[in-house]
Amino acid sequence: MITTLLSHGWKKFKRSVAFEKELATNIFLGLIAIMVFGYAIALGFFLEKIITNGFNQPDSVGFLNGLLFYYFGFEFMLRYFMQSTPALDVQPYLHLPVSRRYLVHYMLIKSLLHLLNFLALVLFAPFAFTAVATQAGASAGVWLLSIYLISLCLHYLVLIFKKGLDDTIIGFLVLTGVLGVFALADYYNWFNVSKISAAGFKFILSNPMAIVGLLALLLAIYYFNFTYFLRNMYSEELTPNKSSKDSASQNLAFLQSFGMLGEWANLEVKLILRNKRTRSLLMLSAFFLFYGLIFYTNKTYTEGLPGFLLFVAIFITGIFMINYGQFLFSWQSNHFDFTLTRPVSLAQVVESKYWLLCGITVICFVLSIPYVYFGWHILLTHLAAALFNMGVNVFVIMNLAMWNPKKIDLTKSSMMNHQGVGAAQWVMGIPVLLSPYLFYLPFSIAGYPTRGVVAVGLVGIIGLVFRTKLLSLTTKRLQERRYAIAAGFRKD
Amino acid sequence: MISISSLSKTYGTEPVVNVSSLSIRKGESFGLVGNNGAGKTTLFRMILDLIRPTEGSVTIEGKDVQGNDEWKHYVGSYLDEGFLIPYLTPDEYFNFVGKLHSYSDADLSQFLQKFEELFNGEITGKKKHIGDLSKGNLKKVGIAAAFMGNPQVVILDEPFENLDPTSQIRLKRLLQQERETRAVTYLISSHDLNHVTEICGRIVILEKGKVVKDMEGGDLLAQLEEYFKA
Repeated sequence: MITTLLSHGWKKFKRSVAFEKELATNIFLGLIAIMVFGYAIALGFFLEKIITNGFNQPDSVGFLNGLLFYYFGFEFMLRYFMQSTPALDVQPYLHLPVSRRYLVHYMLIKSLLHLLNFLALVLFAPFAFTAVATQAGASAGVWLLSIYLISLCLHYLVLIFKKGLDDTIIGFLVLTGVLGVFALADYYNWFNVSKISAAGFKFILSNPMAIVGLLALLLAIYYFNFTYFLRNMYSEELTPNKSSKDSASQNLAFLQSFGMLGEWANLEVKLILRNKRTRSLLMLSAFFLFYGLIFYTNKTYTEGLPGFLLFVAIFITGIFMINYGQFLFSWQSNHFDFTLTRPVSLAQVVESKYWLLCGITVICFVLSIPYVYFGWHILLTHLAAALFNMGVNVFVIMNLAMWNPKKIDLTKSSMMNHQGVGAAQWVMGIPVLLSPYLFYLPFSIAGYPTRGVVAVGLVGIIGLVFRTKLLSLTTKRLQERRYAIAAGFRKD
Repeated sequence: MISISSLSKTYGTEPVVNVSSLSIRKGESFGLVGNNGAGKTTLFRMILDLIRPTEGSVTIEGKDVQGNDEWKHYVGSYLDEGFLIPYLTPDEYFNFVGKLHSYSDADLSQFLQKFEELFNGEITGKKKHIGDLSKGNLKKVGIAAAFMGNPQVVILDEPFENLDPTSQIRLKRLLQQERETRAVTYLISSHDLNHVTEICGRIVILEKGKVVKDMEGGDLLAQLEEYFKA
């Protein structure tokens, strides 16, 4: 039985449409995965050298022990974004004579087959057998095992967290809240995370029997998962909520005053709010608003590389436009025929999408205003970037999105989901992120970086002024490509 | 065989199914009829423990179906495409379901022979995955799989929908023949009044989740036509 189920899992992977038709993408992603793993292995082998020489920490074990809690925090986030709930895989077996307990065990154990579950081992095994072994002898094995057990605990914790709280406001708040508390605690020295972490692992090294406690913890979390999924083995509860709840509140009444244009924009807003993939995109974009904190707090970037800030600004003000716009037509792939058969002009469709993307860019800009704390020039750069996004990039994105768009299943989460990705999506970033430099660099090389930023903003304004012309060109292109696009969407 | 007591399912405040009591005897052919949104599929899903009822329970052979696996051995069912595994070929799918009922290869080919006529050479022996089949052929695969393991109860949701006329007649014959060779209880929902009255001796009309008519004997078709006349 178990072998049959496993072989089904393998067939599902091998025979999926994505596997056959997007072989190139898959190979590329596979190579990236191998590369990342290669780096992890290399890092594992050089970890000790890096700590003793790079950080000047003679007690490499103690130092690493202090960092492990942060590592687990990082791993949790990684898992949160990359791990999917395996629940749906068992749906076609529910009515068959296979016991539920068996299916739940299968589902939970199979979920362990994930690259992330080997990351901790790869990263810390070399260190355990060299640095830790010389210091603590045989306890090194226990040390490594304890890290692995905690990693597995995180695995099951994320499963239950994603099942219960993913895609909800509460889940988002809990996640940001926990991270915030840790960050603040570190910043204001309420409690020292690294000291707790170091003490914890030191305790394990000197008391190997403590591993039993971790094992018990893992079993407890597993059992909790087991009972939870056993009790909730209903496909309507397993499937990501096809919520029809509070649909009235999602009707943006003010949009209706824009006539049909508003209606189409309204439809699109509903599409974004009611589907899992677009919702998680929205959430991801919200996370990326904090992207600036990495760069603006660091003088190397703010003073050393002024041109780099433009890149960050384009990204922050345009993150949703880029993420959503790259699949602009694919989102409606399952009702594109509907759009084509209704009495609407494509000009209206294009224009409504244009205003939607611009509106969201304005919202991103407004939300990014607090960055003015790091200097007025940052606000200026953001404004220029937002104008450029609305005047130029939006048209680049809309036109590139028409290039062989692919069908997208909206009910799947967007994390690590590359359904719909084609050639257009790979190259789209290049013009969007680099074209502002065409206007910025001449001024910055001449020694006037601020004028360069203003120039980028002005180009954006020119684009905005000529938007009617640009929109009608875009519409014309859609008119020509409509049949090819529709045919592409009908194919799976 | 199957008994339902004060079963209800509510989404939000909207009651979808609300059946106070209904029992289906062994060997009975039970037809469920009702307009769109009457709750037929939801009722079937609750019988199959695919939806958690808001209240009440369903018992098969005296045992509550909820959280129980035993009944799955003698209840075969096909409601929709969620019952199929899209990335398998029909042969692989039959093979798999057959294994669950401990079929040998010989058992399986003997079983599939019964369906040869219905399949019309388009299902078995092909390399096409289930996900690529037409709606009619999907239905044929699902119905055949529902009969595996000689179940005492077979639950089918709109089995005639999407089938071509020839296949509809063949399926009807198949259902009748099966009933002649052994005791089997059918639960069939359908919009086709002709077909359902030909197969079923008892017809229940569901409206807005409630049983409004429970008919047995007499000219069922005439009664149904009278009820549904616009």
